[in-house]
Amino acid sequence: MEVYIAGKGIISAIGLNVEETLQSLKAGKSGIGTQTNLTGRRDSNLPTGEIALSNAELASMAGLSADYSRTALLSMIAAKDALADADINIKGLKCGFISATTVGGMDKTEKFMASFIRDGEVKDIGRILYHDSGAITELVAEALGIKHFVSTISTACSSSANAIMYASRLIKTGVLDMAIAGGTDAMSLFTLSGFNALMILDENYCTPYDDNRKGLNLGEGAGYVVLVSEKVAGKLSKAPAVKLTGYANANDAFHQTASSPEGKGNYLAMQGALKMSGLEISAIDYINLHGTGTANNDLSEGMAIQRIFGERVPKSSSTKAFTGHTLGACGGIEAIFSMMAIEQKMIFPNLRLKTPMKELGFVPVTELMEGVEVKNVLSNSFGFGGNCSSLIFSKVN
Amino acid sequence: MEELMATLKKEIFEQLNLQHVKPEDIAYDQPLFVEGLGLDSIDALELIVLLQQKYGIKLANPAEGPKIFYSIKTMAEYITAHKKQ
Amino acid sequence: MELFIKGIGCISPQLTYDNPDFLPGIKKYAGNRMMCIEPDYAPYFDAGSLRRMSRVVKFSAAAALIALKDSGITQLDAITTGTGYGLLENSEKFLKSMAESTGPVLSPTSFIQSTHNTVGATIALITGCNAHNNTFSHKGFSFESALIDARLMVAEGATHVLVGAHDEISEKTFALMEKLDVFRNNNEADINAYEKGSSGIVAGEGAAFFILSDKKGESDYGVLMDNIIFYHPENAIEVKQHIEAFLEKNKLALENIDVVISGINGDAKEDAVSHEINHLLFAHQTIVLFKHLCGEYMTASSFGFWLAAKILLAQQVPETVILKNRHRKPGYILLYNVFQNDHSLMLFKAC
Repeated sequence: MEVYIAGKGIISAIGLNVEETLQSLKAGKSGIGTQTNLTGRRDSNLPTGEIALSNAELASMAGLSADYSRTALLSMIAAKDALADADINIKGLKCGFISATTVGGMDKTEKFMASFIRDGEVKDIGRILYHDSGAITELVAEALGIKHFVSTISTACSSSANAIMYASRLIKTGVLDMAIAGGTDAMSLFTLSGFNALMILDENYCTPYDDNRKGLNLGEGAGYVVLVSEKVAGKLSKAPAVKLTGYANANDAFHQTASSPEGKGNYLAMQGALKMSGLEISAIDYINLHGTGTANNDLSEGMAIQRIFGERVPKSSSTKAFTGHTLGACGGIEAIFSMMAIEQKMIFPNLRLKTPMKELGFVPVTELMEGVEVKNVLSNSFGFGGNCSSLIFSKVN
Repeated sequence: MEELMATLKKEIFEQLNLQHVKPEDIAYDQPLFVEGLGLDSIDALELIVLLQQKYGIKLANPAEGPKIFYSIKTMAEYITAHKKQ
Repeated sequence: MELFIKGIGCISPQLTYDNPDFLPGIKKYAGNRMMCIEPDYAPYFDAGSLRRMSRVVKFSAAAALIALKDSGITQLDAITTGTGYGLLENSEKFLKSMAESTGPVLSPTSFIQSTHNTVGATIALITGCNAHNNTFSHKGFSFESALIDARLMVAEGATHVLVGAHDEISEKTFALMEKLDVFRNNNEADINAYEKGSSGIVAGEGAAFFILSDKKGESDYGVLMDNIIFYHPENAIEVKQHIEAFLEKNKLALENIDVVISGINGDAKEDAVSHEINHLLFAHQTIVLFKHLCGEYMTASSFGFWLAAKILLAQQVPETVILKNRHRKPGYILLYNVFQNDHSLMLFKAC
């Protein structure tokens, strides 16, 4: 049983939709900059991949109330686009909405809690009603008209890769005919302050896989794909160009935040995905790296890649220098970059990489490559708690 | 110096919520990390916070940590050298 | 696919561990919250790791270790967990430090341990388990999704899966929920008061973990036959259709069900559909309640799962949980839970 991808929807610092995103990727235009929506802490001066729209503007795009969490607004915009792109009538189909988020409604909660903690102020208590991750998913499911099946995954930075994986498994076992799967996370002071407390934020624009990398930049966004069964795929007006052929999740079981030096979890996830796909390692044309830009991640990931691919590491790049690290959304967003690589015959550059890492024998692609036959893409997402996920996207022949 | 090291020890135990050892079991020159108390990278970050909150010392580069946080003694020496007058 | 329940571990507002007796008496709570009776954690964790664990991490990871020990299994092929609110205490602690600290650098520990998958990750660390590790956070479907994941994992080849759920009452969130007027203040652990119902719920918390496998053993508790979720049904008629279709899919008739474990929480408005279903479908079954024991929380159904497992093994239903019809021997058990219009069913049978 194969699972096809019939549609995609994305919003991030480099574009409000698929077309804008592609233009930015082709132009090498990064979305990192000074952020403006959040203020009040010193952390808010750090560079981020912020979407340059206010909540009111996003709400109008989403067709939702501006009182809702930015996480829900971003989710709705990307999920709605994905569904429209698939051009599919969900009526009569067992359709699921499997979303992922790490912050949920924290953007609203943190505003409320700041004044509640300082002054006991409870005037805006309504802000916390949609704090939990599931509440965000239900707001969007409601707006999309999806009732059959909903779920939410929250496994830190691998969340949306896991959502895509879970959706695919539900389709393969016939629980669902199709699913909109991916993730969403809005910028919040909570995550900015938290990652800053871990001292892994770069005060300048991040430089993944550079020997002098100083850390990551946070980003925000949402990315969803529409996964369909073979049967549904056969009835679509537009034949799917990409299918999900492999996936695996593994746990590093090393440390709450740090990756093991050899990247054991990363290795097991990639290995598991490759095994499921049945592909030879030489069949992988491109790796969309997790590549956050922290000393620890890029080294562990790089070591694990070398252990699998030896001296024949495929072309690779981290796209986080474009978008920032979008946490619970990055697996969904990068699934779409992986699809674009296949569809557009392109490999997007790892921006700002000047000095290759001395520990590694491979260097990610630093210039846009066009006209390249990309048949199989491996996409990595690794998170706190040792949560490692890899997905493989393949061209439909 | 003796007084600073005693205070520092108390503060370290509090900041790191150490329960598996008693303050009196830790010598001032005993290594705190891996082979000593078994502290890890998160503890190093907590010690950076401690330096900042209690002594007004900002350690911008966590890579300096291992040297400064080698023992209570090395920490006290660093504080003495860098404390704002 | 039938899954055998090999081990259980539950830490709750009742004494549900280290207790040879099965709920002969229950602990009653006067106020509007019911909090866990926690064990001494020293036998479960080394002091070095205990120092960073918040209350929910401790009672949840301990519940998982109790389940593991109970099963006698050492090698896990997947860990999957559910939590509605995640790690509230740590989140609040970090929000507090953000609100109060003027310095740019905050203490990172509470942030690190605020992610929803902290408990699943902690269990992986303790058991050295590199396998699939998933965490669902979706209101009344959090534990249910983890169960679906567990069933899929076994279908895909896993032999032993650890599945569980956890939620905690934290100081600030509780205070805020009080302000939102969601609680009732006349908590009586009396089951009849739960049936009669009034306005509001009693807050609860807990962690329950289970080892599930497709391999039958000598000392299994019972069998999880199936579980489903259905989202925001319009009315009791739609719920009735879901229940009938679910039983039919599992080749059972209504009459086959001996015990119904119902997620009635004492809030008359929210319980209306459950009452109607009991009236429409289950006039003769033994009706069992459990939220008078553990309170209401997003993953309370995991306490219901624990109760089902214990009933199946004991082959008797404790008096303290029976609402009506005490005569049926527990062969097949149906658990029907509702949390804010997220509905779920779990079907069990005796071995």
